[in-house]
Amino acid sequence: MRIIMILVVFITAIHPVFAQNFERLRLNMVRQQLQIRGIDHKATLEAMRNVERHLFVPQNQQRRAYDDGPQPIGYGQTISQPYIVAYMTQIIDPKPGYVVLEIGAGSGYQAAVLAEIVEKVFTIEIIPELGNRARELLDKMYDNVEVITGDGYYGLEEQAPFDAIIVTAAAEYIPPPLIAQLKDGGKMIIPVGSPFLVQTLMLVEKKGGKITTSNLMPVRFVPFTRQNQ
Amino acid sequence: MTKKLYWSVGLLSASIIAFQLTLMQLLSIIQWSHFAYMVISVALLGFGASGTLLAITRNWFIKHITGLLPVLMMLTGASMSLIMIISSTVFGSFDSYLLFMDGRHIQTLLATYFAFLIPFFFGALTIGLIYINYVERIGSLYFADLFGSGIGGLALIGLLWIFFPADIPAVISFFPIIAGLIIIPPGSMGKYITPAVLAVTMPVILLFYTPDLPMSQYKALSSALNLPEARVVMEKSSPYGHIHVVSSPVLRYAPGLSLAYTGNVPVRDVIFNNGNWFGPVLEWSAYDTSHFLDYTTNSLPFEINSPDNVLILDAGTGLFASHALTRGVRKVTAVEQNRVAVNLMKNELAHMMDSMYHLPRLSPVSLHSRSYLMSADTPYDLIVLPTIESFGGTSGINALEQQYIFTLQALDEIWNRLTENGMIAVTVWMDFPSRNPLKLLATLVETHENNSNLPVEKHLAAIRGWGTVTFVLKKAPLNDGELVKIRDFCERMFFDPVLLPGLMPAERKMYNQLQDDDFFILVDKLMKGDRDVLYREYDFNIQPSTDDRPYFSQYLKLGRYSKMQEIFGQSSVPFFEIGYMVVLITFIQITAAALILILLPLFVLGWKGGGKLYTVLHFSGIGLGFMFLEIILIQQFILYFGNPIYAAATVLSGMLICSGAGSLISSRLKTDRKNVVKVIALIVFFIFIYVLFLVPLLRLTIDQPLMLKILLSIIFISPAAFFMGMPFPLGLRILSIKNNTLIPWAWGINGCLSVISTALATIIAVEAGYLWVMLIAAFSYLLTLTANIELR
Repeated sequence: MRIIMILVVFITAIHPVFAQNFERLRLNMVRQQLQIRGIDHKATLEAMRNVERHLFVPQNQQRRAYDDGPQPIGYGQTISQPYIVAYMTQIIDPKPGYVVLEIGAGSGYQAAVLAEIVEKVFTIEIIPELGNRARELLDKMYDNVEVITGDGYYGLEEQAPFDAIIVTAAAEYIPPPLIAQLKDGGKMIIPVGSPFLVQTLMLVEKKGGKITTSNLMPVRFVPFTRQNQ
Repeated sequence: MTKKLYWSVGLLSASIIAFQLTLMQLLSIIQWSHFAYMVISVALLGFGASGTLLAITRNWFIKHITGLLPVLMMLTGASMSLIMIISSTVFGSFDSYLLFMDGRHIQTLLATYFAFLIPFFFGALTIGLIYINYVERIGSLYFADLFGSGIGGLALIGLLWIFFPADIPAVISFFPIIAGLIIIPPGSMGKYITPAVLAVTMPVILLFYTPDLPMSQYKALSSALNLPEARVVMEKSSPYGHIHVVSSPVLRYAPGLSLAYTGNVPVRDVIFNNGNWFGPVLEWSAYDTSHFLDYTTNSLPFEINSPDNVLILDAGTGLFASHALTRGVRKVTAVEQNRVAVNLMKNELAHMMDSMYHLPRLSPVSLHSRSYLMSADTPYDLIVLPTIESFGGTSGINALEQQYIFTLQALDEIWNRLTENGMIAVTVWMDFPSRNPLKLLATLVETHENNSNLPVEKHLAAIRGWGTVTFVLKKAPLNDGELVKIRDFCERMFFDPVLLPGLMPAERKMYNQLQDDDFFILVDKLMKGDRDVLYREYDFNIQPSTDDRPYFSQYLKLGRYSKMQEIFGQSSVPFFEIGYMVVLITFIQITAAALILILLPLFVLGWKGGGKLYTVLHFSGIGLGFMFLEIILIQQFILYFGNPIYAAATVLSGMLICSGAGSLISSRLKTDRKNVVKVIALIVFFIFIYVLFLVPLLRLTIDQPLMLKILLSIIFISPAAFFMGMPFPLGLRILSIKNNTLIPWAWGINGCLSVISTALATIIAVEAGYLWVMLIAAFSYLLTLTANIELR
């Protein structure tokens, strides 16, 4: 019996499910997934170190929360790969005085990362179950995040204009009200791609009535095999 | 007893094939067709497993055969219903989309395989046992088996018009039970009352308790139903699929809408077919003066000039047709093969779109677009093809969908339907890494080269928005006035020209920047460079698809897989092309399982001598060859009928019934290897006739009425199919003389190889084309020929 108990304790100690140290995993994530790939925005890195990502994934996914990939969170939605979250945050160059709108709260993780940096984050989630889950979590952690359950199409006219808008629940069109609610000189970022495939990002910028887009590809794909370059 | 046994076998076979096709349909709805294909392929290994069990325990089964046969048939029927009853519990949390993400789904997949294998195992065990015991009547029994299967396939098509797919298994389950009751020995009915009552209980429960099978959360229908106040307002079942019309106050649709658009994006209902996106239900009015597509790249052909007569291919719910009507087109022809969806537009949903489908200016045609192109001779000013891909991509779920509308042959036919100033317009979503726009451009450029001696640069225009690219290929050169109009349109809509005569490089990225110039370099290479080198060196397959390999959305080059893994990560790569990955995995799984099932009996039967080599060669060859030819003929006839349902029903039922007739006639042939050799030689001869003449024959008669085409199809199919029904019973008879203990093993081998051949045929078709599949079918029969020569 004693042998069995020792064995159980030993297995428990070495098994990652039981032995994981989320803080250590988080620091590793920042070092091995973000900095190594060129994320150098100090506030973003600090926010990624602080936000406890494992709290934003379903209980049975926690041991994989800091893996280098997206995770399913139910309702056909995902929590984005840590690198994509950091990349999007870095691109909008958030500053302490910023007011940011997010369309598609999902797990609430992106809003939490932004809340670490900016003055106010409004996040809209259309699926009530996800919105309620995100609100419950974010309300405990931050007083500068407001989760709204509803249709993101109209944005939040009463809080506009926004310094930045992140549309994580993008559809095949960009709602005109969101363009209208973006500050002149502001940035809107939209991840594009299937949930578990590498996502490209689209940056929409508004300057003096002219609206331009830029495709940003976090993964560099060289179109030919190495031998033929 | 004999007559009853034939009826019983026919009924059992009919229900097995109907159950198989129902499961395919059901699993396609709740997951995807590639997943359905994987599960059913593995489940059909029940045939191989039954052969293995019979080979090992042959004597026990034969000793108890009279009592066992009715019970096994009842078990087949009962298990069909039982697995449906428990399915929502067993597979409740399963999602095929997450197979590559979460190891726990693999366990559920294994449970799914096992559950669905059970009814096929019992069914095959019954038929195998009958073949072993009554081998002297194999010709007639095999006829009953094949004839029953043919009728079963046809009956299911009828059932799908009446019932929803989830309701059908209960109906089918009664038939194997009836088959069992038929053959209960006279005076023994009392002994079977309990098993019969227990067996009947299962379908009765299923009739009153239809399980709620959970749909994948990643299907388009699931996403729509997650929206606030979303509800299904209409459902229709047919062999074309299961249609849901969904309404929600937040469902909007405006694909690739320009950022210059400041109006409202209206809410609209959406139609889904088998849980997949089919199209929006438009709120259109004949008095509308503008259309939201005016603010998308799709509007390019209407900006270039004012077409008078427009053809819309794969018109779906009529989105592009409504745009053409709003733009004042005099005559619009909308071709859509899903007759049920078109009827919805014409009737139940007509009020939402101002009865658009009843306007004299619009002619809806319920036909496959290719069949329409091949049979019609009206010239058009503009032919619009369906949009390729969708926003964010589909993870290659459609990789193995036969898209006959985007092949080089299709584009040639489209070109030949254009007026002198006519245009072809296609819109495609941008993707990363770039695949769809490049393959489309390659197809358009090659089409122009095949049909004109003029430089393509003067005929091709392409403009790009933030998400879509629209290509227009014009038969006459683009003139200066048209070029001004295109540039003006781009300026107003924040679009960028990609291809225009005299285009400056800086013009290509005024509004929508790409990370680098790779896309433009590749586009220019396709226009001016050595395309063959590009096709070879590019990491994805961007060579135009053909009628022989009609997989437009198949891009993965297997040889570059490891490079993709390196760049995009191991867990991401399967999502490039899930459809093809699943077929490859299925092939590996069933080959490994089949190998075990085939080798296992050898531990009992011994490894050498006694005709084992003959058994392997003879029954592998016919298992592979029959299925290869059947699959390829279905593909060839899809274009002929313009409808996959009619094609599958005619080929499947035609082949099975004709083969059944061949089997019946084979009873009169002497059990002699010379006869087998002659039959195989005739089969190989007819396959070569198909290789040479089938496609031209089908082209020649494509515009005939449907009933005549069905008759002609049977005439085309019947010679080979008739002889293909002979080698199996003849082979079993030879074995019964040579070494009858090998008969169950032969049954198992034939079952295993038939299943392997479905996956293998798909892989060969993707990698080499249909012609090769047909040639390999002939080669497979040559294996059988070799086996019979070897006997000498």
